[in-house]
Amino acid sequence: MAAADVVQRLVAVRSEVDQACELLISASPKALDSCTHILETAGSRLAELQPQLPEGAGNSTAQQEARRLRGAVARANSLLENAFSFYVNWRRLLGSLSAGYTERGDPAPAPCQGRICLEG
Amino acid sequence: MVSLLSILSTSASALRAYEQVLNVTQNNVANASTPGYAKQSQQLCALPGDPEMGATGGVKAGVIQSARDQYAEQNVWRQTVLLGQAGQNVNSFTALESLFDISGASGIPNTLNSLLASFSAWGQSPNDTAARQTVIDRATDLATSFRQAASGLEGVVKDTNQQLQQTVDQVNNLVGQLQGYNAQILRGDRNDAGLEAQVYSTLEQLSQYVDITARQQDDGSTTVLLGGQTALLVGAQQYSISSTFQQPDNPVYPDGLPEAQILGADGSDITASVTTGQLGALLNIRNQVLPSYLGDANQPGDLNTMAKQFADRVNQLLTSGNVDNGDPPLAGVPLFTYDTTDDTNVANTLSVDPTVTPDQLAAIDPGPPEVANGIPLALSQLSNPQNTADEINGASFTEFYGNMASRIGTALTNATSQQTVQQSAVAQAQNLRKQSSGVDLDAEAMVVVEFERAYQANSRLISVLDQLTQDTINILSTA
Repeated sequence: MAAADVVQRLVAVRSEVDQACELLISASPKALDSCTHILETAGSRLAELQPQLPEGAGNSTAQQEARRLRGAVARANSLLENAFSFYVNWRRLLGSLSAGYTERGDPAPAPCQGRICLEG
Repeated sequence: MVSLLSILSTSASALRAYEQVLNVTQNNVANASTPGYAKQSQQLCALPGDPEMGATGGVKAGVIQSARDQYAEQNVWRQTVLLGQAGQNVNSFTALESLFDISGASGIPNTLNSLLASFSAWGQSPNDTAARQTVIDRATDLATSFRQAASGLEGVVKDTNQQLQQTVDQVNNLVGQLQGYNAQILRGDRNDAGLEAQVYSTLEQLSQYVDITARQQDDGSTTVLLGGQTALLVGAQQYSISSTFQQPDNPVYPDGLPEAQILGADGSDITASVTTGQLGALLNIRNQVLPSYLGDANQPGDLNTMAKQFADRVNQLLTSGNVDNGDPPLAGVPLFTYDTTDDTNVANTLSVDPTVTPDQLAAIDPGPPEVANGIPLALSQLSNPQNTADEINGASFTEFYGNMASRIGTALTNATSQQTVQQSAVAQAQNLRKQSSGVDLDAEAMVVVEFERAYQANSRLISVLDQLTQDTINILSTA
């Protein structure tokens, strides 16, 4: 595979990560579900590309594009962590507002009645 | 028994309550496109209904509660302050980067290479007057480059000082506006949705400059703190900040750059609590980055260190040699001069002694053994150091300069990446603010549970992508 092809495929992966970032900007649970599929695809494509990468070794354009991709992944990570931290802290706040504090002084879990949660 | 009068009273109370609901709805419609406006909701409280006890039931209007969630608002400010910081870093490091050319085509790297090349040429023709004159000319060029670099950095210091003052003024102006809104609220306009929107819009502007915490008090006024501890606004009382420049006690270099400080309204030094936002970035540039090149009360600065060590080494080699080996032998003279009284002023004053003539440059290393071109050869070794006297902290002069330049380049790259991330983070925080307004507690708790589940899956995928990307960079970097 020519270096130009490596660059093109890295650009395609970055475009998917950028798309995931756009979804993370509207960080609702539904948006995150869509984001999962996009990130899965991006990961698969990048994994498939790995064996061909040595053919682009030393190519400065490919290196630059790989660094851009890393920047996009860092942006996605930052957005995900920001949203997670927002929700976790909000839940703690909701807990303290609605159910007070535990004996240890932590915010009590927010009451969430009449629902069941199945995991598997 | 429930009297007719109490039934009428219940009806009147309910009518007043619903009238307020209509007012709130009207406000929401009227302010739908007002910047900073969040939908308000009217709480209706049930009144106890016990006919035996004469309690007639019905509803009454509670205090109007803005649906704007303080928590989500604070989250927007937290991201905005980081965006302000990244933006300021990009601007400041871009200005600095233009002063450090690492291509070798101009500035210090260019003139340093030329001077080192002229030493080498002189070594090949140690008695050639033209070669000696070239050394003097190239040394003059290098000294000029150092002075220009120092002057350029001083220009950035001046600009940064101005920006610090302007940013402090801007903070005070915005807090002044908030003070005006508080005064209006305390006069009785506390339920004016348009006014509340102006308060939040102003707080959002303020958050790009400094890290703020704002709390709405029971009287409706907003209290604003800087860095979580310094009061900027309490009720109708504004506490203005100011900037000043001061040397610390017992400075090692008394003529070095004084430190920029931010003072609270009571004159106390609150610089340490201003670490983020545009003001935090400016303080970091002014008190950390620029002194690392130009020096301050505690350090000479890398540009001055390089200028001094290079000049001293060249002078030391030249004065250790002889111009001729007569009896007595005639020693060489130093080439460079600078302000020896102030180590933070070396680059700015570096020059070639105008009285030095080509025939005063010593080429002969007296040895033993004596070498006719020993001194120019030793000088040309400065490009490829063979002993520690030709190095600064283990690096050649060229490498040392490269390190100075690359620090700026790396900082600019990081700031640019951070700016891109923060632009998205602010947009995300604004979306989260919209989502959390007016959602009931039960539904909100479910959103959190669902979010955590989706988070786990995405977090694992991003971790895999991160590793794959790192592997990709590693493979592509192998030549």
